[in-house]
Amino acid sequence: MFAYVIRRVLQTIPVMALVALFVFSLLYISPGDPAAVIAGDQATPQDVERIRASLGLDRPYLVRFGTWLWAILHGDMGTSIFTNLPVTTMIAQRIEPTLSLMALTLVLAILIAVPMGVVAAWKQGTLIDRAVMGFAVLGFSVPVFVVGYLLAYVFALELDWLPVQGYTSLSNGVLPWLENLVLPAIALGGVYIALIARITRATMLEVLQQDYIRTARAKGAGQSSILFLHALKNAAVPIVTVIGIGIALLIGGAVVTESVFAIPGLGRLTVDAILRRDYPVIQGVVLLFSFVYVLVNLLIDLAYTLFDPRIRY
Amino acid sequence: MDRRNFLKTGVAAGGAALLGGRPAPALSQGAAARTLRFVPQANLANFDPIWGTQYVVRNAAALVWDTLYGFDEELRPQRQMVESEEVSSDGLTWTFKLRSGLKFHDGSPVTSRDVVASLTRWSARDSMGLMLKALQQELVAVDDRSFRWVLKKPYPKLLMALGKNSTPMAFIMPERIARTDPFQQITEYVGSGPMRFLRNEWVPGAKAVFEKFADYQPRQEKPSWLAGGKVINIDRVEWIVMPDPATAAAALQNGEIDWWENPITDLVPTLRRNRNIRADIADPLGNVGTFRMNHLTTPFNSLKARQAVMVALSQEDYMRALVGDDDKLWKPLPGYFTPGTPLYTEEGGDVLKGPRNLDLAKRLLAESGYKGEPVPCIVAQDQPITKSQGDVTADLLKRIGFNVDFVATDWGTTGQRRAMKNPVGQGGWSMFHSWHAGADCINPAVYIAIRANGDGAWFGWPKVPEVETEVANWFDAPDLETEKAAIRRLNKAAIENVVYAPTGFFLTYQAWRSNISGIQKGPLPIFWGVTKS
Repeated sequence: MFAYVIRRVLQTIPVMALVALFVFSLLYISPGDPAAVIAGDQATPQDVERIRASLGLDRPYLVRFGTWLWAILHGDMGTSIFTNLPVTTMIAQRIEPTLSLMALTLVLAILIAVPMGVVAAWKQGTLIDRAVMGFAVLGFSVPVFVVGYLLAYVFALELDWLPVQGYTSLSNGVLPWLENLVLPAIALGGVYIALIARITRATMLEVLQQDYIRTARAKGAGQSSILFLHALKNAAVPIVTVIGIGIALLIGGAVVTESVFAIPGLGRLTVDAILRRDYPVIQGVVLLFSFVYVLVNLLIDLAYTLFDPRIRY
Repeated sequence: MDRRNFLKTGVAAGGAALLGGRPAPALSQGAAARTLRFVPQANLANFDPIWGTQYVVRNAAALVWDTLYGFDEELRPQRQMVESEEVSSDGLTWTFKLRSGLKFHDGSPVTSRDVVASLTRWSARDSMGLMLKALQQELVAVDDRSFRWVLKKPYPKLLMALGKNSTPMAFIMPERIARTDPFQQITEYVGSGPMRFLRNEWVPGAKAVFEKFADYQPRQEKPSWLAGGKVINIDRVEWIVMPDPATAAAALQNGEIDWWENPITDLVPTLRRNRNIRADIADPLGNVGTFRMNHLTTPFNSLKARQAVMVALSQEDYMRALVGDDDKLWKPLPGYFTPGTPLYTEEGGDVLKGPRNLDLAKRLLAESGYKGEPVPCIVAQDQPITKSQGDVTADLLKRIGFNVDFVATDWGTTGQRRAMKNPVGQGGWSMFHSWHAGADCINPAVYIAIRANGDGAWFGWPKVPEVETEVANWFDAPDLETEKAAIRRLNKAAIENVVYAPTGFFLTYQAWRSNISGIQKGPLPIFWGVTKS
C-alpha cells in the first residue's frame, strides 16, 4: 500500500503541471486588464500602459509562464498585483474560514444525510421515504444563495438568534465560531445533503436485498444493528466516493456562500481576484484547490480499504 | 431568546471546556461605542493613493495621510498642514510654511523634505501635477518647515491642485516612502493624518482597520469636508467589505455595522422603515452618467452620427433606469459640469432639452453615411450603473437605426477593451458607459473626460481644438468671471462636437444607525466629527 501511496503522490505532479499550464494559458488569453483597474477611471491610456509595463504584463507569454513556473517550483506563488502581498500570505489569511465552513458543512451533511438515506431505504415507499426524497429534490433545486438569504432573514433578522455575516476565528472560542458558521454551513450543505442522502438510499436498497442481510434477520439481529453495522458498512464505498466527489461541489458553493454571508474566505478571494484580473492570486488559489481535490481523492481511495478488506493496493 | 443566548443555552450543556474553546473576550459597551464599523463602496485592495487611483483608496488614504490644503464645502482650498503661504508679485515663486508640531505615525516630525518628495511623486501621476511639473523651475526645501516652488509661468490654480479631492490627491508621506517610483506600489503606510492604518489587521477583500492617532494636531477651524479641524471622536474604525448589498442591508438592520457608504437605491425604502436607521444623500456633488463614443471608428467618427445620439437621447430614461422613481436622486444635465458648482453652465445644451426627436436622429444618421455596420456597445454587467445605462442605450440605438452589437462583459474587460484603438471588427469598439463623480467634473483641471486633445484625451479620443483652447483659457483666467466665460464657450463647443453624451446627474444615498451622529454629506466619507453613542 505504501508503494501505491507513493505512486499516487507522484502522479499528482503531472496533474498539477497540467493544471498550472491550463490555468496560466486560460488567464493569458482571457480578456481584461489589471493595469486598467489599478489606474482607475481617471487615468490616461499612457498611465495604464506604464503600469502594465511595470507589472511585466507586456512581456511575451513564454517569458511570463517560465518566470511563474520557476517561482512555483521554488515554492513562491508570487505577489498579488493589487495588494502587493505574497499570494501565500493572502491564502493563509483566508484559508481558515473556508476550511472551517467546508469542515462544518461536511460534518453536518454526513450526520444528516447518511441517516436520512438509511431510513429512507429502510422505509422504502412510505411517507418517510417520499419526504426524504422530496427534501433531496428541494436540496438540488434551490440555489445556495436563495437558501442563504432565507436563513439569514429568518434566523438573523427576524429571530435575532444568529449574526447575518462575518467570521470569528476558532481561536476566539467555539461558540462565536459556530454562531457565524451555522447558517452558511446549512445553506451550503443543502445540495450536499441531497446528494449523499440519495446515494445512501440507493446503495442501501441494493444491499438490503442481499442474502447476508436476510441471514442476519433470521439470526435475530436488531433492526439498527442490521442497518448500521451490516448494511451500511457494505454500502459505504459508493457513499464515500460521492462524499469525495462532492468536495468539488463544496468548493464551488463556498464561493457563493462566502459572498452571501460576507465570510472572508478563499472563495471570495477567488472572485475578487478574477474580477480584478489579479493573475498571481487566481493561479495560486486554483492550484491550491486542485491540489486539495487530488489529495481528497487519494484519501477516498485509501478509505476504501477500511470499508472493504477485499480492496488491496 | 436572542442570538446571544440561543447557542449559549443550547450548547452550554456540553460545556465550553468540553468543546475546547477559549471564551471570546467580551467587548465592553464603552469599547463597542468607540469602534465604528463601516461598509465602504468597494474593497480596499491596495493602499497607495498615488499608484492606485480608485476612489476607495483615496477615501481610506484621507484618514491616514494629510494634505497641505483641503477643499471645504464651498470647493475652496483651505490651509491644512500649511500655516502660511507667500506668492511673489510676478506669481512665479511660492513659499510655504508648515504648521509646527506635525508628526508622522512613526513619531518622526513632518519636514519640508517629506513634502518635496511627496509632491514630486504626486506630480508624476496627477494631471494638474503634470502641468505643474512642466512649469516647474525648482521645488526645494528651504528649512525644516518651509519649502519653495518656483515656476516658469504663473499657475493661478496651484492651491486648488494641492487641495483638490479628485484622485490622486496630493497626500504627504515620509520622504523615504515618497521616493518610491510613482508607478510602483509603496510598501509602508505611514502618514500624518488623524488615524493610523493597522497593517497587521488588514485582510484585503475583507477588512481594514484604522486607529486614532493620538499625536494628531487638528486645526482649530470648524471642520468642512477636507478642511478645518479633523477631530476624531472614535478610537477605531473598521472597514468591513461586503460585496453583497442585501447582506450589508441586513447587517445594518441587525446592528452588526454602523454605517454603509452606498446602499443601492432599491434597498433604501426597506432601510427607512427601520426606526434605528437613517438614510440621506451621500455626496451633494453626485455623479455624471456618461455615454462615451469612439471618435476614431465608424460610425461615431462622424459628427452627424454622434449628433443623432444627442437629439434622441432621453436623460430621464437613463436616470430612471439608474435610480428608479425617486425624483430627489436625479436631474437633467444639459451640460458637462456638476450642477450647483460655480462653473456649471447650460450653454449650448438646448439639444439635450425638450422632447426627443427620433426622426431628426434617423435623418442625421442617414446623412452621416452609416451603412449598417455593427456598432459594438461595451456594457459592463457587474456594475449596476453601467448595466442600467447599457440597456437603455441598446434600445435607443436600435430605434435610431444602428446595428447594435451588444457586448455584455465585466468592468475588468471594459477597462482593457476601451483602450484599444483598432477598427471595429478587429477588437475596436463604438461606445461604452461610465460615470464620473461630480467632484471630478467641477473644472477642467480635474475633469479628464472633458478633454478633447485627441490621443491625449480620455478613451474615445475626441479631438476638438475649440475645447482645448477654452481649457487653456480657464487655466490662465485671473478671476471667476473670466473662468465662467471660458467654461461657457467650452461647454458649447463640447456639446456641438459631442465630446461625449451626458446621460444625466444622479445622487446616491448613505445609511447609518441612529446612534451615530455627525455624518456629513461630502465627496467622500468623512470620519472626523462622527460620534457613536
